[in-house]
This record gives sequence, C-alpha cells and structure tokens, in this order.
Amino acid sequence: MVQPISGQAIYVVLMREIKRYWRAKARIISSIAQSFFFLLFFGMGVGSMFSGGSFGPGGYLGYIAPGIIGMGLLFGSVFSGVSVIFDRQFGFMKEMLVAPVSRTSIIIGKILGGALTASIQGVILLGVSTLIGAFSFVPLPLFVIGVLLSIGVMILITAGFVGLGVAIGSSLNDFHAFQLLVTFVIWPLFMLSGVFFPFTGAPSWLQIAMLCDPMFYGVEAMRVCLGSPVSLDLITIFSGIPVIGPVLVMVPWLVPILVLVLFTSIMVAIGTFLFSRAQV
Amino acid sequence: MAIIEVEELTKIFNGDIRAVDGISFKVEEGELLGFLGPNGAGKTTTLNMLSTLLKPTSGSAIVNGHDILENPDAVRRSIGFVFQDPTLDTELTGRENLDFHGRIYGLKRKVRVERIKEMLEIVQLEDRADDLVKTYSGGMKRRLEIARGLLHYPKVLFLDEPTLGLDPQTRRAIWEHIQRLNEDEKVTIILTTHYTEEADYLCNRIQIIDFGKLVAVGTPNDLKSRLEGDIVSLVFKDPAHLMKIHPLFKGKDWVSSAIPVAGDGGNAGGMSRMMEIMRRIARGRGGMGGMGGLAGMGAGGGHGGGGIRIPKRYKEMIAKAMSSKGGLSAMMKAGAKQLNLLVDDGGHRIPEIVKIVDGAGVELESVELHKPTLDDVFLATTGRSIRDERGSFTETIRRRRITRSARGMRVRG
Repeated sequence: MVQPISGQAIYVVLMREIKRYWRAKARIISSIAQSFFFLLFFGMGVGSMFSGGSFGPGGYLGYIAPGIIGMGLLFGSVFSGVSVIFDRQFGFMKEMLVAPVSRTSIIIGKILGGALTASIQGVILLGVSTLIGAFSFVPLPLFVIGVLLSIGVMILITAGFVGLGVAIGSSLNDFHAFQLLVTFVIWPLFMLSGVFFPFTGAPSWLQIAMLCDPMFYGVEAMRVCLGSPVSLDLITIFSGIPVIGPVLVMVPWLVPILVLVLFTSIMVAIGTFLFSRAQV
Repeated sequence: MAIIEVEELTKIFNGDIRAVDGISFKVEEGELLGFLGPNGAGKTTTLNMLSTLLKPTSGSAIVNGHDILENPDAVRRSIGFVFQDPTLDTELTGRENLDFHGRIYGLKRKVRVERIKEMLEIVQLEDRADDLVKTYSGGMKRRLEIARGLLHYPKVLFLDEPTLGLDPQTRRAIWEHIQRLNEDEKVTIILTTHYTEEADYLCNRIQIIDFGKLVAVGTPNDLKSRLEGDIVSLVFKDPAHLMKIHPLFKGKDWVSSAIPVAGDGGNAGGMSRMMEIMRRIARGRGGMGGMGGLAGMGAGGGHGGGGIRIPKRYKEMIAKAMSSKGGLSAMMKAGAKQLNLLVDDGGHRIPEIVKIVDGAGVELESVELHKPTLDDVFLATTGRSIRDERGSFTETIRRRRITRSARGMRVRG
C-alpha cells in the first residue's frame, strides 16, 4: 500500500529534530570545542612544522579548517541518523508509526532535520574557524560567496551521512553497537577524507582507500568553496577519461559535487528503504 | 452498530508460535471492553493488528468501517493508541508532545490549540504543560499519553496495560479518567490488562484471552456468576499434603471444582523443571564453581539460538537458592500449597471440610472463604492463576517469545 508523502508530517518531524538539537546544549558545546581544539592545537601546532606554501596560501591551518568543519558535519549527521535507534529504544518511534502518515514522510523529515542541524553545526564551526583566522588569506568578496556555496555543500554532505546513519540505525537493534560504529565507520571515514594530509604523496593503497571514502569528496568540495587547493591529482586521474576529462580539469569542483550527489541519493534511498522495513 | 468486527484473526510469529489463534469478536460503539490475560496471552498482539501496526497472518478485521488491510490510514485516523511502554519524547514539553501529535494527524492550528487546551484540562496537566516531560512523574506521563491518544478525537481508544507499574492512588485516578472518557466523551475503549481487579472495576465486558484464544467472554458479573457458590481456600503446610488431600474432594458432589493454586514461588510444573535445571548445574559444576556455570547460562539465556534459555527470574531464584543454606528445601516449599474448592454454601461446609482434612491426618495452616472473583474465574477457565506467569517451562518460553515478538513488531506503512 503506497501512502502519499505528507508535507505536514515532514515538517513536524524536522522541527522536532531542530528542537532536540537546540536543547542539547552540552552536545553543541562539546562538538564546537572539539573542533576548536583541533584547529587551535593541532592546526597551529603541526602547522608550525611546515614552512612555505606546501599547503596553499592559507598554510596548514587554512588547509585543515575545511576538513575540521567536515568532521563536525560527519559526526553530527551520522549521529543524527543513528538516533532512530534511540527513538525506538525510548518508544517515540511507535507514536510516529501509528500516525496516519507514511514512513517515507517520517524518514524524509528525519533526514532533512538531521541535515539541517548538522549544517547549522557546520556554519558555527565555519564562524569559529574564521575567528581563529583560518580564512584570512581569502579576499572578502570571494569568501562571502564561498560561505554561501559551502552551506549548500554542507546540506548535500550531511543529507548523505544522515541517510547512512539511518541505514545503520535501522539495521542495528541496540545502541551498544554504537561504539563499534564510531570506531569502525566514522573514524575511518574521517581519517581517510584527506583532512590532515594531501592526497598527493600518500601511498597508492591509501589513495585508493581515500577515493572510496565519500567524505573525501565532501572535504574536497568544502576546500573548493573556502579557497584551499584541492587535490590536483584527483583531476589528473579523471582527466584521462575522454570528453568529460578536459571538462573536469577546467571545473575542479565538478568531480566532488557529482560524487556527493550520487552518494547522497544512494544513501537517502537505502536509509529510507531500510527504515521502512525495520522493526520497531 | 459494531465499531469493530474481528473475524478469525491469527498471528503466527517465527513460523510456529501462534500468538493469536483465530479469534473472532465484535465491539459495540460506546463499549468499554477489557482483554484480560497473563503476559504473552496475545493481548498486545491483537491490539497491534487492530491498529495496523502488525500484519495478521490470516483473518480480517474492520475498525470503524475500514478494513485494517485495505485502508490502514483510515483505521489509524479512527483510533488512538496508548502503548504499554512509554512513547513520549521526554526532551519535549507536554504541550510540544501534544502539538507534535496534532500536527502529524493533520489538525489545523486553531483546532490544535483548542484541543490541546481541552485535553490538558481533562487529564489535569494544564499547570505542567510547558515543563519538559522528563520532569514528569510516572502517573503524569501516563495521563499525558492518554490525552495525546484522544487529541484527534478517535472513535476507538486502545489502552495497552494503562496502569502497569503505577501506584494504587495513580491507578485510581487513571481509572476515573478512563471511565469519564467512556461515559462523557462516548469514546469506545478497548484495554488490555492482567489485573483482574482493573478489568472488574472498569469494563462493561471482559474477554479472557489465553494462549491466543478467547476462553471466556461476558460482563464481570456474568463471568463471576458462572462460578456458583463460594470459594473455600485451604492452605497446607506442605505441598505433599495437598497432593494427599486433593483426591478426597474430587468425588464429593457438593464440590464443583478443586484446583491447586501455586504459591509465590511458582507452581508444581515450574518447580520440577527448576529442580532439573539445578541438578544439571550441580552436575556440570566441575572446576568452575557454581556461579561461574550460572554466568555462562546467563549469556546463553540472553540471546536466541540453541540450548536451553533460562529466564532471568529463574536465574535469580537459582542464584538465591544456591547462595543460601537450605535453599533447596525452601524452594520445594514454594510449590502449590493452596487448594481452592468451589462449594455451594461454603460457610456451612467448612466444618465438614476441616473434618475430612483432619481425618486424613493432615495439618491445615488456614482456611479462607470468599465470593468468586475474576481471579477465580481465570483459574477455573485456564487452570492457572493469572498471577502465576510461570506455568511450565515451555509455556514460559513461549510467552516470553510472544512478548518479545509483539514488542519488536514488524510494522507496515
């Protein structure tokens, strides 16, 4: 039985996510602090080892800042998706499921809500990075445009990873597996995303692993927006492809964006599917 | 007009557990119907099917004129459901929980605001409406859930164990709310309970359900009057004495029935099974010590798969018995010690009953006389006390599996 998608249901589930996010002040503060420490201690500490322009005009700090924002997006969105486990554990899921709306509406609301809250988090981190001076090398008009573009990229990235979280949350039946998820899914996605080291120069097996990490393209896209150099090798790899290759060389943001669009579509579809057949 | 019509409704879990076994019944508009039965009898499973949360294996049901299979959305709009386990978002306020519900049921803003006010008044939560639900007491949460279930003006309200785990005072208050809703607001109410006094006090009609089948249906008075006469309960010092006395009453024409009732420690069947498990543990002890063996069993008991699953309460009892001297014999004494006789004109028969017991050379601990209650009805129809959820070991496992399946239900939508 196919049920129509209800805008009202999507809205109400989305609003609940935002309210809950906003009320969990400890979570907001700790995630901002975590990123702040990474930027300040790690970014400036490790950054002092490198001299010159090997990490682009913004130095090491400017290089890792988009990635650290990406980290906030990644953790925030996967956790938000996995919270379907908690909804189930604490019973609220039943309240949603016994309502005369389709599961698809509920999960779309959940994914949009998760994407929105994680992106709000990302914007806050962007502000923090700017205050630290991570983007002081970017001319102001370009930076303003870049910030606007990056918000769009954030929504795209987070929607995909909320979808991944929902898919995982719908398949797991207890939250003891949560720690495993963090260790074996989120951390590898983060470490392989090229936040700390450039793609160029990494061992080839690592490069292959990085190419398989959707977050790698997310960080690349963030860098394009925020004025840091992207991994040029990426373009070199794809430039071998006839017809579209030369286009990719000319438009460096196309590959990351295309991959993200593909990833997000697939994850939202899988998340929706697994959620609609999961047990309460 | 019947607001609910159920035809041969059946639910089979995991291919072999018949949680609900071909039940048929009708509910008239305005009724306050109670499903009475022990845990795992199939009460929640039935409600889950009627509310379209669970797909029946076979059979059909019409709720408020809509088929549960063909038009689940219309069914969901017609019903309110207050689940057994809490389903509130504790990070939201009471009002926000109601607002969420109103919106997801598509109520317009004006209607929503009015109804929320109205429902908060009905359950007397106006002054706490803007506090986070996590600061509410158990009774307040329950009342909020009932208010929420009513917000969209359902024709039928399902209440799954509405007073489970509440203190007597709160239970009273909830009962009054339920009655008022039924009488003043004309809401048809179907509730499940394993408290006989709750069913007796609240319901116009009771359906006793056991092993997925309806075993008795009627008004509380109808059901009680089926047991004509009085109940005389004999309590013995030793379960063995009961065994000796039991046959003596079976032949008497003034005794309609004689049923042994389990004590607090479980009935005879459960007890013998326990003894067997304990013997196995004792044998398998080897070098690892008794409690080590127990811990291993615990791990096996927690999850599905092969081997014997041991319910937690058994483990606790075993652990308790093994950790105290004389634990074994203490457990033996927990077997059935009480014999309930259904007797015409019980008061006058007591001297004769005592004489028979005396004549057999058995010592009585106490004798009690009372009018039949729903507990007795349950005992008479199922052969077990409703309080005694243990039953035989296989029954226990069956009930646990049903309870688990009902909670972890697969939902359509």
